[in-house]
Amino acid sequence: MQRRFLFSALVSASLMCAGMVSAVAQTKPPLRVLAHGSFDLPKPLLAQFEKDAGVKLQIVKAGDAGEMVNKLILTRAQPIADVVFGIDNTLALRAQSAGVLDAYSGAATQRAAATGLPENLVPVDYGYVNLNIDKAWFADKKLALPTSLADLTKPAYAKLLVVQNPATSSPGQAFMLATVAGLGEEAAFDWWKQMRANGVKVVKGWSEAYYTEFSRNGGAYPIVVSYTSSPAAEVFYSKEKITEAPTANLFLKGGVFRQVEGVAMVKGGNPAAREAAGRFIEFLRSAPVQEGLQTTMWVFPAEAGAPRVDVIKQHAAEPSTFDELKAPLTEAQSKAWLQRWTKTVLK
Amino acid sequence: MKTPRLTARSLALVPLVFLVVLLAAPVVRLLAEGFGSGDLGTSGPLPWLALWQDDYLRWRVVWSLLQAAVTCVLALLLGLPVAWVLARREFAGRALVLRLLMLPFVVPTLVAALGVLALWGPRGWLGAPLAEAGWRLDETPWLLLYGNLFFNLCLVVRAGVDALEQVSAPRVAAARTLGATPWRAFWRVEWPAIAPWLASALCLVFLYCFSGFGLALILGGQRYATVEVEIYTLVAHELELGQAGVLAVWMLGLTGAVALAYAWLEKRLAAPGRVIPMARQRPTGSAQWFAVWAAVGVLVLVCAAPLLAIGLQAGRALLVGQGLDVLTETETLTALWNTLRFSAMALALATGLGLTHALAVRAFDASGSSQGGALAWRAAAYLPFVVSPVTVAFGLLLLYPSWTASLALLIGAYALLAYPFVAKSLTAALDNLPESYAQAAATLGARPVRVLWRVTLPLVSQALRRGMAFAAATALGEFAVTLFLSRPEWATLTQLIYARLGRPGAANLDAALVLACVLMALALLAFTLIEGPSKKDPAVHA
Repeated sequence: MQRRFLFSALVSASLMCAGMVSAVAQTKPPLRVLAHGSFDLPKPLLAQFEKDAGVKLQIVKAGDAGEMVNKLILTRAQPIADVVFGIDNTLALRAQSAGVLDAYSGAATQRAAATGLPENLVPVDYGYVNLNIDKAWFADKKLALPTSLADLTKPAYAKLLVVQNPATSSPGQAFMLATVAGLGEEAAFDWWKQMRANGVKVVKGWSEAYYTEFSRNGGAYPIVVSYTSSPAAEVFYSKEKITEAPTANLFLKGGVFRQVEGVAMVKGGNPAAREAAGRFIEFLRSAPVQEGLQTTMWVFPAEAGAPRVDVIKQHAAEPSTFDELKAPLTEAQSKAWLQRWTKTVLK
Repeated sequence: MKTPRLTARSLALVPLVFLVVLLAAPVVRLLAEGFGSGDLGTSGPLPWLALWQDDYLRWRVVWSLLQAAVTCVLALLLGLPVAWVLARREFAGRALVLRLLMLPFVVPTLVAALGVLALWGPRGWLGAPLAEAGWRLDETPWLLLYGNLFFNLCLVVRAGVDALEQVSAPRVAAARTLGATPWRAFWRVEWPAIAPWLASALCLVFLYCFSGFGLALILGGQRYATVEVEIYTLVAHELELGQAGVLAVWMLGLTGAVALAYAWLEKRLAAPGRVIPMARQRPTGSAQWFAVWAAVGVLVLVCAAPLLAIGLQAGRALLVGQGLDVLTETETLTALWNTLRFSAMALALATGLGLTHALAVRAFDASGSSQGGALAWRAAAYLPFVVSPVTVAFGLLLLYPSWTASLALLIGAYALLAYPFVAKSLTAALDNLPESYAQAAATLGARPVRVLWRVTLPLVSQALRRGMAFAAATALGEFAVTLFLSRPEWATLTQLIYARLGRPGAANLDAALVLACVLMALALLAFTLIEGPSKKDPAVHA
């Protein structure tokens, strides 16, 4: 009996040692890339980067973009990454004011980009958060498509919209900001109040909204907050070959928000990995990546003049107009709106 | 030779330092954050009473209390009849049923939550047809309550069975002879005898439900999530550390009050004297058989069905779905390796701590000088149960910012949550150990360490292994602390399951189900490997 104890104790101890040794034994440090859960690039491209830069990539995914930034802030005393991808224009200020990013001034920052981001962040891609509809559902019910956000508060459109909680989801936050930018703060929260009365459904994150609640995927809600590129993704991933997307974009005033994602150096990252981190930033703005990310992350390339792939060209429309916030989003403002939204819609 | 008192103190030092560094200090730091002297919050803390004026937060707290209370009532209403049948009726398979009652204790929270979804979720075995009929269960509190029952019904049943076996047979017989109906005999004789035991079990149920995290996170949705989920959201999503601190401190106060009630009840439960237990009878007549079947049916429906649903869905995912791929992915293998090595390290640490803690209790008792100290030291083993894992993790995060991403802290936190099982189990076993064995060995010239190794440990090995089994199961399924303290590359199986649940597509759901099965198998394996076949019915850990 005691022997067995001794044995298990030895096994545990040796496992512990093995863990420590393997942590120490690495000579050339890997490049630690922090990214949100949706980060996805073609594997051969990543392998090619590792080969070219002579460094091992360690991609660590930290949930939703907001969660990722918070994790970066909470661990700033001992940063968990050398470079971070996926901080967007709604989160940039939070990261800036917490001082978790370092300046970078490589070639990519010199070239013009399709859209800009605040200091220290190099734009990589952009996309639009907007409303998607299930075409078949509307055809089936012979219901006209809403032509304004105000339509959605009418009884005919009761219980048709599913949105993400802005506190826990970046598209959710983007959509909330779109309503504020497009309608003005008071009118926006008034709209949300009416939407609550009209049965808007709130879920935690995008995948729950799109894959569980959206009627296209078996749910009960034919209108969902998603991206303008989602119809293109529907065509791309369809089991049968289809030429027309089963879902469509609604471009309503106050219902479209442009999200720009960027990459940045992490302050306090491993100095030995700094050169590789710079190479990674350049890599994200290189032609193959700018092409690849269009059909892996379903976003538009930030590099000015980068060609669009066919499926994006055909099925992912860019809105001709959209509203942007009058002043740059401050951390305090963003928090105040979040709290107001929670009180208006959830409490 | 050292005096017993000195030994007791030196033994107690290790777990004491551990408790102070990993539990007390973080809680104090959290208090500071709540009181507003913290510096990490991006906006000021909530005023102390604002919590009760804010409708949204008040609903969270009230709902947390309510769901725990409702679970207690349901667990009592369902559990007591089941316990009575198990305690009074003899039938084939009874021993097996009692043994299977241990199962929910080793099932990781996340697996349980998935099981509930596989059964009642919008696409579950029972949930899908109901959803067709227009009943969306995921917008009701039912999922969370059912999940709570899954974990806690067995606890009440076990406590009930143990208590009913302490009821004196002659007293019941006397009541019956004097003309009492069985119902009256139960109400006047049996109930008063078992009520304190049930009350103490219900305190624990309340505590578990109130401070639970994983179930409420996954099953609560937007409306029925509890305060613990709110604290997590405030930290991870909103970076509102001040508000989170105030909430956590309120939670601490409330759980502390319940824990005090529990300790008080426990103290009142006098160690049972020798009673003549009531003999179990074979059921006669269809009514009695019906009772037996109903009891087993309740247990199957509440405690076994979610696990069966997971097994079936995972099986389907493996055969016809896309579940097979996940087993060979590097991500899975890494998570598996992480889970195994973290659990092994935590188990080793927890065993050492639990052992020293229990031996220190013993030494305090033997020294005879400080009754209060011995009692306090006994109670200290319950501390990690009182403070919720979310609170601990949050406190650690604030207190040791430069250690937040260190393996030592993660393993330490795992061990903190796991070691009370070892300590409690061992303390109970040592209490029942006659002092004379060790004294005899010492008289024959054995040194203390040798006495421990050759006499004491072998005698309590069964209890040690049981404690280790629960500790291992705890570490394997740990979720809350991992979510806060882990580095992304240290992803464990629980984290991978949670991540998969949040990603789109049927393939990810299949993967989550398969991973949950793997985790469940690991927990069961650890349990049977360490605990081994036992001759007696094992005692409930609670």
